[in-house]
Amino acid sequence: MQNNMMAMILAGGRGSRLRALTKKMAKPAVHFGGKYRIIDFPLSNCANSGIDVVGVLTQYESVLLNSYASQGRLWGLDSKGSGVYVLPPREKADANLDVYRGTADAISQNIDFIDSYDPEYLLILSGDHIYKMNYAKMLAYHKEHSADCTIAVIPVPMSEACRFGIMNTDEEKRITEFEEKPAQPKSNLASMGIYIFNWKLLRRMLTADMKDPESSHDFGKDIIPKLLADDKRLFAYEFTGYWKDVGTIDSLWEANMDLLDEKNALNLSDPTWRIYTEDVNTLPQYISPDAEVDRAYISEGCIVRGKVQNSVLFTNSTVEDGAQVIDTVLMPGSTVKSGAVVTRAIVGESVTVGANVTVGSKNSENIELVAKNVKGDE
Amino acid sequence: MARAFGIINSSANYLHVEGLQTYRPIGAFSFAGRYRVIDFPISNMSNSGIDRILVYVRENPRSLTEHIRSAGTYNINSKRGHIQILFAEATSSSDIYNTDIAAFMENLSIIERLPFPYVVIAPSYMVYAQNYQALLDQHIESGADISLLYQRVTDAKDNMYLNCDYLTLNRQKGVESIDRNRGTAKERNIFMDTYVMKRELFIELVRKAVSISSVFTLSNIVNNQCSELDVRAVPHRGYFAPINSFKTYYDANIELLDIDRANELFEEDWPIYTVTSDSCPTHYFEGASVRNSMVSNGCIVKGTIENSIVGRGVRIEEGAVVKNSILQAHSVIGKGIHVDYEVIDKWAEIRHVDEIIGTPENPGYVKREDII
Repeated sequence: MQNNMMAMILAGGRGSRLRALTKKMAKPAVHFGGKYRIIDFPLSNCANSGIDVVGVLTQYESVLLNSYASQGRLWGLDSKGSGVYVLPPREKADANLDVYRGTADAISQNIDFIDSYDPEYLLILSGDHIYKMNYAKMLAYHKEHSADCTIAVIPVPMSEACRFGIMNTDEEKRITEFEEKPAQPKSNLASMGIYIFNWKLLRRMLTADMKDPESSHDFGKDIIPKLLADDKRLFAYEFTGYWKDVGTIDSLWEANMDLLDEKNALNLSDPTWRIYTEDVNTLPQYISPDAEVDRAYISEGCIVRGKVQNSVLFTNSTVEDGAQVIDTVLMPGSTVKSGAVVTRAIVGESVTVGANVTVGSKNSENIELVAKNVKGDE
Repeated sequence: MARAFGIINSSANYLHVEGLQTYRPIGAFSFAGRYRVIDFPISNMSNSGIDRILVYVRENPRSLTEHIRSAGTYNINSKRGHIQILFAEATSSSDIYNTDIAAFMENLSIIERLPFPYVVIAPSYMVYAQNYQALLDQHIESGADISLLYQRVTDAKDNMYLNCDYLTLNRQKGVESIDRNRGTAKERNIFMDTYVMKRELFIELVRKAVSISSVFTLSNIVNNQCSELDVRAVPHRGYFAPINSFKTYYDANIELLDIDRANELFEEDWPIYTVTSDSCPTHYFEGASVRNSMVSNGCIVKGTIENSIVGRGVRIEEGAVVKNSILQAHSVIGKGIHVDYEVIDKWAEIRHVDEIIGTPENPGYVKREDII
């Protein structure tokens, strides 16, 4: 284990506002950015930050996510002593089989796993967020401030601060108060759900928390307030890059559309901080003689014979002759048949939009989710 | 597990592909944007259940060894399988002695120790899809000593097949001779430099070749033994491209823009594996125009691309126009520059000229890492 720190990724989230996209898979497995899954981001960040032991805590619809995340080699996390370990709830000798009751409980139930590595520091991450961050820098900050706990924060517009967990800090960035969705926010530093703890301290807290019948076993609601009440040293680590929690169909669409902007802050083409993902065996993308491509983000294996405008095409998606794909996200393996017109939509994985069908509209308030095949002209 | 091991042979010493081969052996040439030529024979073997593979490299091993750094890339079992790269130590001052037979002789003890009764030998410089398990089954069933894979072509005068060998067959598909194709006839059975035989026979032939002539190749000794042994030809159908000259390299790539033709090579149940570079999808900007082209991931496209094959991480700036060209990985075409009928090698940058234009008969070439 490098740097005496291991990471635990909370990946049990259901993401129910993503509707049909998360009906059969957990939110961290949702596709993003033309070829990735959301969980590729925290896992690649770990790999690039020199964190080589990662636990992934899964719960909701975990079959696909478990088999995906357990392939440590996808992120280069497969050398000796390194690995990605998938940890769904399990039956134990001294306790009943129980689901993870909260974010803190998910860690508590795996104290034995963490102890087996005996880390000095524990990094807690969310499997739901899209961003690039060097956790090694955050650890250096944590050590520099002799902190008990460091929480990554991102400045948000003051007008939106009421939607986040807000950290109030002193001049030295020491956290004085934590307010969940405050009506009258005093600061605009929103918690990113990224924590570094001194493991010995956290271990004591979690052991106590497990026995507390009043606790909801949640980091934000229980553990952080308790640490503040105990006058522990909590510091805010300010992050200024791209960070998104894509909770809804609209925000997932928007985050994909962000990539069409040349100056997009996520910058997936940075060779010094690659995002790794599952490899596919397909031809490069093929653009036919009659195709029209205008502002697009297109991955390998796509076949474009129609018009693509301001859209993101995931691996192996197809746009047939005369079809139009406008302001749209085509998930992997999806097909828009000839003559169909798709506007302001997300077309789900392996979904087919039939010939000459019209889906979505230019002026719609919300993004159309096409989760099932749409029958068209035969 | 297959009953055969695989040998991937290096290209003959009389073949030289201008420009490209200065930097790497033909097997390491980029093909179809994201592949290398050697991905095809290795994937053919892997898909056929052959997981012990010897790759022979005659010269410039760097890019090939870098590419084949992990057998896992090719879906080869990490415990039971193994790809071993064997460098011919060119001990001779004259290249005419650096034959495949000389390379096999150098490491013959490795082959003698392998616990497989059969060997499949495939070239590193030809592109085709073939199930070697089916070929092996057919070979065993036929009772032949040696089976050779060939393709019947009706355009053997074409550049594409010059310098290939061809097979003269009797009525029973018995091979009477193997000769160099000089383009003197239209119809030929072009030899795909692919052999199946018993390992013991292979070792015997290698030794015999050395005793007859110091410059004999494997095809020379098989030709020499045609009357002694039962050598049979097995036809191949579908996509086949020998990469043995600059022009064939260019034509074979451009031919893939016929997507139906490309699909003969890339069948769904016959994956072609290659090394991932973890590049992001390709980004087309406002003002970009792309038609009839194959584009790999990681490119930035602001200009025009037509009838071209584009490798990974290529940058085409505003107003640039690329037609009928092969752009290899990480090359850059600067603002407003016209490129037509060119092969641009890896990392080259076209920045300071208005245009760089070849012809269909003589496509141009820009060297690796050149800045023009």
